[in-house]
Amino acid sequence: MFDDHEIMSTIEMVKNENLDVRAVTLGINLFDCVSHDLGVFKKNIREKIISHAADLVHVCDAVGDKYGICVVNKRISISPIALVAAPFSSDQMVEIAHELNDIAKEVNIDFIGGFSALVEKGMAKGDKALIAALPRALAETQRVCASVNVATTKAGINMDAVLEMARAIKLAAALTSDTDGLACAKLCVFANIPEDMPFMAGAYLGVGVADAVINVGVSGPGVIKRAIERNLKDQKPNLGEIAEIIKRIACKVTRVGELIGREVAQNLGIQFGVVDLSLAPTPTVGDSIGEIFQALGLTHIGVPGSTAALAMLNDAVKKGGAFASSHVGGLSGAFIPVSEDLNIAEAAHKGYLTMEKLEAMTCVCSVGLDMVPIPGDITEECLAGIIADEMAIGMINAKTTACRLIPVPGKKAGDKVYFGGLLGEARIMKVAHLDLKDAFVTFGGQIPAPIHSLKN
Amino acid sequence: MTKLIITVLGKDRPGIISHISTILYERDCNLENVNQMILQNQFAGFFFVEAPSDLSLDQLQQIFIEKTVDTGLTVHVNRLEGNCHATDDFLPEIFLITTIGPDQKGLVARFSSIIATFKANIVNLKAVFKGGSDPTANVMSYQVEILPGVDAQAMFQALRDKALELNLDIRIQHKNIFDAINKI
Repeated sequence: MFDDHEIMSTIEMVKNENLDVRAVTLGINLFDCVSHDLGVFKKNIREKIISHAADLVHVCDAVGDKYGICVVNKRISISPIALVAAPFSSDQMVEIAHELNDIAKEVNIDFIGGFSALVEKGMAKGDKALIAALPRALAETQRVCASVNVATTKAGINMDAVLEMARAIKLAAALTSDTDGLACAKLCVFANIPEDMPFMAGAYLGVGVADAVINVGVSGPGVIKRAIERNLKDQKPNLGEIAEIIKRIACKVTRVGELIGREVAQNLGIQFGVVDLSLAPTPTVGDSIGEIFQALGLTHIGVPGSTAALAMLNDAVKKGGAFASSHVGGLSGAFIPVSEDLNIAEAAHKGYLTMEKLEAMTCVCSVGLDMVPIPGDITEECLAGIIADEMAIGMINAKTTACRLIPVPGKKAGDKVYFGGLLGEARIMKVAHLDLKDAFVTFGGQIPAPIHSLKN
Repeated sequence: MTKLIITVLGKDRPGIISHISTILYERDCNLENVNQMILQNQFAGFFFVEAPSDLSLDQLQQIFIEKTVDTGLTVHVNRLEGNCHATDDFLPEIFLITTIGPDQKGLVARFSSIIATFKANIVNLKAVFKGGSDPTANVMSYQVEILPGVDAQAMFQALRDKALELNLDIRIQHKNIFDAINKI
């Protein structure tokens, strides 16, 4: 038996506060598809992915319909291609990307992630081939997502890989200059990449994970914002009490994700993995992280106080999620992607949010510099420097950080870019000193892993 | 031993449960199950009892008539027939069907008749129509049990069509999502 409030608040969350299941991501292990023959490898991965994923979209829609909650995106993550396709050349890697793109279309999913390499301590043959293939693979396909982990807290930062990735990003942007460098929106550079993340572009299936697994990404910035606003209207809670409100709502949202995820997994006969409760915005009013900052009394995200607000928000979301489910994983926190959030894009355009402040905020958010359009004439060295800085934040703080930077060809700070759909639109952010060619990033080698005692 | 159900209706006030249960206690009736609800200012209560074999239904009915004569309560005593516990053979799926929108004559009749046509059982219904623009003030919420054999999809579609025709917002959601969100 439910009382009126319980029924109406549940309906409100879905109807007016944009609560949805952002992504159900089916992870598929491809290690048993390995072959030295490209034709055989392509045939093997096609058979394996389709055998597991043929019913994914149908089952997600049916479960979503049963609970009256939309499963917005159905996706697939796979074992890192740099490992399972290690014998192949970069041209052959591009062919594999095309095959994955075709498979994604066949099973009607919007993205397949795992065109990935793990190179935090050095690059093997397959890793080099994959990184060399990235620009073409991403420019010539629509649904393939790529990620490269270049740093971990235990290994340090592979600075050769950082520079390689800066080059790959510049080249990928150049190959898609007609779409504002769209290829770069499908490419993340990571420190401490999680093995079970359902969100793109960084999703891949970890090496130590089961043969097939369902991971669920739940969002809900609108629900959090409305909860804060409701409570501020009725009373005057202090920040400790607001954190409690966020935690409770995050708990409820996580439970919805687990309910949906477990049922999808059961109906597909596949193991359930994790719920990733990440506040992921869309370019829709009322579905924004930036609006939460305004609900908390800040003029815009990026003004003084923003890092503290984000720290509180991120932590409260993690605590609520951890209370709700024993299987919370992925990133679980708050994303601050610039172009994907109308409100954040506006804050950047108006000058409240700068690159420097954004970087500072990534010390306490769940990911990093995400969907940031920057001027296309940034040097490789400067781009590599930004990536290295972001990786250092992740490495030292034992957290995930990532860069999804789009150096938009032919455009300068303040120019408008449009990526479309969930990727959104924004003005290009100003990057200071973008013409520098400092030698630091060209020295290469490994920045050693940090000491784990003497913490200050 | 006979199983009886005592239905009590009347204007709500302090002491109704006490009054009825004391009468039952004095007649050595064992209370097995009680439920009550208050709608606006009206009380409705159901008392499931096991009555001693020397107490007939008619005797108990007479006792209630005498003892509640000045209370404004209406009391009915009936024999409880059939199995009062649901069997576990088919666990029904429970859906909440909620409509939001202004009152119109015959809303409950129209929606419940669709549900009846498909042979689904309404286990709980709450309807509030207070007028105005507050969505929470104009809500019908049906909890409907769906057993195997009920064409749920066809019923949901018929309900959605009816809601569209009447310009009502309708939500059809499995009960578990309300549990997940509210029952922690």
